[in-house]
Amino acid sequence: MKENVASTVVFILLLFLNINLLNGQSPPGKPEIIKCRSPEKETFTCWWKPGADGGLPTSYTLTYHKEGETLTHECPDYKTGGPNSCYFNKKHTSIWTIYIITINATNQMGSCSSDPRYVDVTYIVEPDPPVNLTLELKQPEDKKPYLWMRWFPPTLVDVRSGWLTLQYEIRLKPEKSAEWEIHFAGQQTQFKILSLYPGQKYLVQVRCKPDHGFWSEWSPESSIQIPNDFTMKDSTVWIFVAVLSAVFCLIMVWAVALKGYSMVSCILPPVPGPKIKGFDTHLLEKGKSEELLSALGCQEFPPTSDCEDLLVEFLEVDDSEDQQLMPAHSKEHPGQGMKPTHLDPDSDSGRGSCDSPSLLSEKCEEPRANPSTFQTPEGIEKPENPPKNVTHTWDPQSTSLEGKIPYFHVDGSKSSTWPLPQPPNQHNFRSSYHNIADICQLATGAAGASATLLDKTDKHAFKSSKTIETGAEGKAAEQREVESFPSKTDQDRAWLPPQEKTPFLSVKALDYVEIHKVNKDGALSLLPKQKENSDQTEKASTPETSKEYAKVSQVTDNNILVLTQDPRAPNLALFEEQAKEAPPSLPHNQAQKDLASFTAPPGNCRLQLGGLDYLDPAGFMHSFQ
Amino acid sequence: MIITMDKKRSSLKGSLLLLLLLVSDLLLCKSVASLPICPSGAVNCQVSLRELFDRAVILSHYIHNLSSEMFNEFDKRYAQGRGFVTKAINSCHTSSLSTPEDKEQAQQIHHEDLLNLILRVLRSWNDPLYHLVSEVRGMQEAPEAILSKAIEIEEQNRRLLEGMEKIVGQVQPRIKENEVYSVWSGLPSLQMADEDSRLFAFYNLLHCLRRDSHKIDNYLKLLKCRIVYDSNC
Repeated sequence: MKENVASTVVFILLLFLNINLLNGQSPPGKPEIIKCRSPEKETFTCWWKPGADGGLPTSYTLTYHKEGETLTHECPDYKTGGPNSCYFNKKHTSIWTIYIITINATNQMGSCSSDPRYVDVTYIVEPDPPVNLTLELKQPEDKKPYLWMRWFPPTLVDVRSGWLTLQYEIRLKPEKSAEWEIHFAGQQTQFKILSLYPGQKYLVQVRCKPDHGFWSEWSPESSIQIPNDFTMKDSTVWIFVAVLSAVFCLIMVWAVALKGYSMVSCILPPVPGPKIKGFDTHLLEKGKSEELLSALGCQEFPPTSDCEDLLVEFLEVDDSEDQQLMPAHSKEHPGQGMKPTHLDPDSDSGRGSCDSPSLLSEKCEEPRANPSTFQTPEGIEKPENPPKNVTHTWDPQSTSLEGKIPYFHVDGSKSSTWPLPQPPNQHNFRSSYHNIADICQLATGAAGASATLLDKTDKHAFKSSKTIETGAEGKAAEQREVESFPSKTDQDRAWLPPQEKTPFLSVKALDYVEIHKVNKDGALSLLPKQKENSDQTEKASTPETSKEYAKVSQVTDNNILVLTQDPRAPNLALFEEQAKEAPPSLPHNQAQKDLASFTAPPGNCRLQLGGLDYLDPAGFMHSFQ
Repeated sequence: MIITMDKKRSSLKGSLLLLLLLVSDLLLCKSVASLPICPSGAVNCQVSLRELFDRAVILSHYIHNLSSEMFNEFDKRYAQGRGFVTKAINSCHTSSLSTPEDKEQAQQIHHEDLLNLILRVLRSWNDPLYHLVSEVRGMQEAPEAILSKAIEIEEQNRRLLEGMEKIVGQVQPRIKENEVYSVWSGLPSLQMADEDSRLFAFYNLLHCLRRDSHKIDNYLKLLKCRIVYDSNC
């Protein structure tokens, strides 16, 4: 029985529920707050969207509580904001405070609450649009006409006290156009428009935004009709001027482009860079004077080269043709007019090719003198091939001496400009030059301190010890003996003391050798003198600038001519005369004197004046014997 | 006739009294706002005050823009779905300072008091801003946008404080109040190991910064319109 009652009750309840469900009634759905807005940061309104009402009349309530409070309040005004809204007036509005707002939907069946919404009035400010937008066309005299518009802030917003600060934006368009032209107006409540199409009807709108809030809606449209004569009077003139100037500028640009290069080069000619052959600026920057000077062709300063460069060859003068005096290369100190001699490697017979007297002083003049600036006697050919040969052969010797004897070190190539004259119609005397360097080497080798010796006595020693047996005119002191005096083998000979001067040149052949020139290396290039007279005259006409070892200082016992440089005009005659005397045995002392006289102050490029140095043959004379 | 004489005298007295009353009324009716701002009354003072306020307003406006952007970026990046907003209730360290909560309250406060209030709020933020910068640097994938804004805000806040002190020096030089400000003790929470708690601490700090910077900006604009433009902005 009881079971029956219970089940019946349940059945009735279920029936009741089913009936209700069949009717479609249910508790309300969940409402939702759409948005909350404040038009002036003093009041605000919230709107919600109801959920399903469940088929029954549903009532909605809004409840809230403020940050920091526990009391829950209900919406003070459901009407002012319209349906499903709640308006909070000034009394109920607090700024910088969070409101937690909830909507409750209730119907007969039940109720449902929305999710709480956190609202801070500070950040939901959206004002009304500006009001009283007025448009006016203004056409002042002598000025451009324009459209002038002004408006007022929305009525509710308190701008005067500074509670809200508004910024405005206007937009306008011709009535039939599709796109708006928007302008930002800042905080001002007026605006001017200048560019307008005449004869059109324009629509204008304005909106505003608070300093930290949302833009308002656009105000209602205001319209204005632009009259047809609304033109910019002087605009055509300006357009004309602009076009003209643009054309002018284009022409100028085109002209400059065409002729710009020539103009620029006319105005600013390219500056030629300074160039000195053989001068390496990098070396100069590094501060290594040695390398610099060596690059320029000068030997080290102070002289430290060995004596290999001091080639002194005995001149061997004979009648054989096509003999050439080997240019005597010697590396001489810049201040010393060393007459370089070069040993002709081919001269087994001691013959060397002779060049005309060279000008040692040339080399002495400038450290950077280009060997190509040799001043050769003009009457003499200036063959260019042989020098190379000479240099090739000479180079090994010279290079070995570089470090010991001060001289104008010229590059190998430069020294190759030491031409060996090969006048076809001339005899080429071959004289073997004794390498001054060898002599030096002798001395240095013996001394064991060649470098230091050189350094100390460089000037004098160099000068005094070098007696160049260049091709002596007339009977050049060719010494067959010289050829037996190999430059290299006698390196261990003792270094000649400066004062010792012994003529070493023994002229065997009776032919004159003319000093062609002295190249940078101090090598004498000698020219064979075919005929005394002819050669003499020929050589006599050599330029004054050429330095010729045309003066025989002495003739040694061994018929070695000790030549000196004649500062005066080429004194081939003198040379010749003296040579003719050969083999006179000049007194030793005379040679000494002469040599001493040649001992020009070191570094003093007075070789032109006769400061040429000769290798003192005395040194190797001993060995020679 | 004596009566008329008496009447005349009394009426004269009455009128004098009335006049006196009127004058006193006029004097009394002078609002707080119309008191001379510059004690010295020099013209230079008025002009420089305008410039000072203009500059201060520009700074405060800028600072609030930066704070707002910084908060929005942090919210978008780190706080989604964590329900921080529900917890950031009544949690600002400056809430102890009694600041006006609406326009009426703000307009009733004397401008000197309002200036001092601004100073207090500004000073209260010196320390938190400094630590905010250093802690944001240490955040995972230290977001460059947030960090740069924090650094900028810290610097501009210092400048604004200097400007405000100058304004106060001009407006009320005689009063030198003690430096009152709210102490911030949220550093430990910024350095918590639990990521959720630490992120909430950041969120709360940025939320409070956004609010206080808006307050300062609003108060200054009110003061500027009131003092410099005589409530006619």
